[in-house]
Parts: sequence; structure tokens; C-alpha cells
Amino acid sequence: MLDRGAVIRLVAGFLLALGFWFLFSGTYEAAVAPAAEVLIRLGESPAMTRLEAPGKEFLLKRADFPPGAKQPGLPSPDLHFNFVLLAALFALHRRPWRTDRVVKLLLAMLCLYAVHVVFLVFEVESLYSTRFGDWSAAHYGRFARNFWAGGFHFYQIAGRFAAPFAIWWLFGRDDPVQASEQVRGPRKRKKRRSP
Amino acid sequence: MNWKIFGRESTANSSQQQRSFGFLLRFVILLVAFYFIVAWKPINDHVIVPFTTGIAAVSGTALRAIGEPAVVAGTEIKSGTFGVNIENGCNGVETALLLAAAVLAFPAGWRQRLVGFLLGFAAIQVLNLIRVVSLVWIGRHRPALFDSSHTVIWQSAVVLFGVLLFLFWASRQTRRPATSPEEKAGR
Repeated sequence: MLDRGAVIRLVAGFLLALGFWFLFSGTYEAAVAPAAEVLIRLGESPAMTRLEAPGKEFLLKRADFPPGAKQPGLPSPDLHFNFVLLAALFALHRRPWRTDRVVKLLLAMLCLYAVHVVFLVFEVESLYSTRFGDWSAAHYGRFARNFWAGGFHFYQIAGRFAAPFAIWWLFGRDDPVQASEQVRGPRKRKKRRSP
Repeated sequence: MNWKIFGRESTANSSQQQRSFGFLLRFVILLVAFYFIVAWKPINDHVIVPFTTGIAAVSGTALRAIGEPAVVAGTEIKSGTFGVNIENGCNGVETALLLAAAVLAFPAGWRQRLVGFLLGFAAIQVLNLIRVVSLVWIGRHRPALFDSSHTVIWQSAVVLFGVLLFLFWASRQTRRPATSPEEKAGR
């Protein structure tokens, strides 16, 4: 699995993914924000939250904010730059362009998209539950505050790095034993010499 | 179709899948457990913060060695008009947590796990030191590049390095020849 070629492919995959991420992160954010918005509004009565993705941040707009109040912005690259990790890990394979590998990569990206949506919900709820003073205390209990803020903190410290690895392990990894046999080639039986 | 062989292959595949899921489950459980340990305030205050202070001190020394006017105060490094605060997520601990969870979740001997983790941790910290020094340099001399270098490039590079270290270690565990009498006997 880890021959010199694999490391070169990993670096090439990393650079390609980086370029792709820089080009399309704005478009991607525009797809993450509405899905997270739907989930947040499911837990609101009446539904107030609106999420917009103008680029480099998610703008949080609530219908009950006073007119002219500052709309909080959540930095977006922190949430989804781990796409680069996922794509680089998929590039480890000897033939990453093969159809079955591309299908697996797309499935993995779909999983990572779900992770991004869920943790954007955590980020917004964490903001609601800890940063709005009396309003936060009135609407969120101690357990809810710890749940949302702890969940988002877990994502920041460990989850955002672990998610691409876990998803790749599930969808894209070669079995280490199989992979090492692929590198070495099939075993040949030694002929026994007659004495 | 040779049903006997087919059956054997499918059993082998399903046991391989079970091992794979088992690893992933252990990995996630250990990662969450390690997160709780590291996020616990006494551990954070008495272990993580002093460790990060040490990283800042070593980085300051390295920066001065390359001619930067670096001044260190706690976890903060100032170089000229530019300053950074090394926080959780920038001290290499997050990658070390991943490595520790993966190494412990992988089936191997305790000695191999300990050696793998300690060597990996040292290697991660060396790379992280290069990261901190280069980020301070970039922040002072190329400030326009700081954000993308900090958030995307270096974070991804350090984590990928940690994953590579784990894969390298894991591949060595699977290639190791059977040595114990039981293993030799195929039990």
C-alpha cells in the first residue's frame, strides 16, 4: 500500500484536491447551507433561522433579529476543508481513476457532505446556546448547551480530521494484506530439487 | 461453480469486513474517549497548555535561529508586527489523538503499539514545529497567504502525515511473519 508511487499519488491527489477545493468551495457551501437550514428549522417553532453562503462564511439570519442587528458569520473553510484529506487518501490507490474507485469516491463525498451538514447544525446551535446571553439561557438548558457546544468542539478538535479517514477506511481502503500482495505480485512456489 | 471455494471466499470476505468494521468502531470509541480526556479542564490546564507553551518556546528558538525577531510569551509568538497564539488544533495533539486511536484500535502487540505511537508522536511534533515556524514566517513576510496556509494546507498536511505514519506502521504489522509457536501452527 505504501510504496514510493503511493506517496507521489497522495501528494498529487492532495494538490489536485486543493485546487478543486479552492475553485468550488463557494458552490459547495451553497449546497451545504440549505440542507443545514432545513434541519435547524425542523427543531424550531416558529421556524426562524435562515442560512446564507455568500463565500468564506455562513451568514446566520434570524427573522426575529432586531432590524439592523449584526448578522453572525460562521467561518466556512474550517467546516469543509477536510474534503482535501478525503480526496488525497483516495489517490493512494494504484488506479484511482478506475470507474469503481470513482464511484466509491463519490459515495464517500456524499457521506462527507452529510457530516458537513450535521456539524453546521451543531455549529449554529452551539452559537445559539452559548453566545446570546439571556436569550441562550432562556432557550437552552445545561444539557442542551453542553451537547451542542461539546459536539461542535469535538468536530473542531478531532472529528473534522477523523471523518475523512473513517469514511476512506470504509469505502476506499485496500486491505493491507491484499495490497502488499499486489505490490509483491503472486507468490511462486519454489520447485523442490531432487537430492 | 465451485461452491466450496465460493463459500470459503465469501466467509473470508465477510470476516474481513467484520474486522474492518471492528477497527472502525474501536477507532471511533477510542477517539471520543481521548477527546473527553484532552478536553477535560484539569488535563487541558495542566498537560495540554504547558505542552503547547513548550511548542511555542521551541518554535521561538527555531525562529530566532533563522533570523526572525521572535518573542514568546506563554503560547503566543510575536515576530515583528505579526503575532500568533498556538491553540488546540495547532499543537499537533489532534493528529496525535488520531494516531493513538488508530494504533490502539489496530490488532497488534502492546509493544508494537507503544513503539509505533511514540515514534509517530515524535515525527508529528517535528512536522508541527516546521508548520508553526513556517506559518509565523508566512504571517510576517507573506500575510496574504497566511489564512489558506494555516487552515487548509498545513492542517491537511499534518493530518495526512499522521495517517501515512499509521498506514506504514499497520502495513508492517500485517507483513510481520508468524513467530510464536501458535502462529506458526496456524492456530
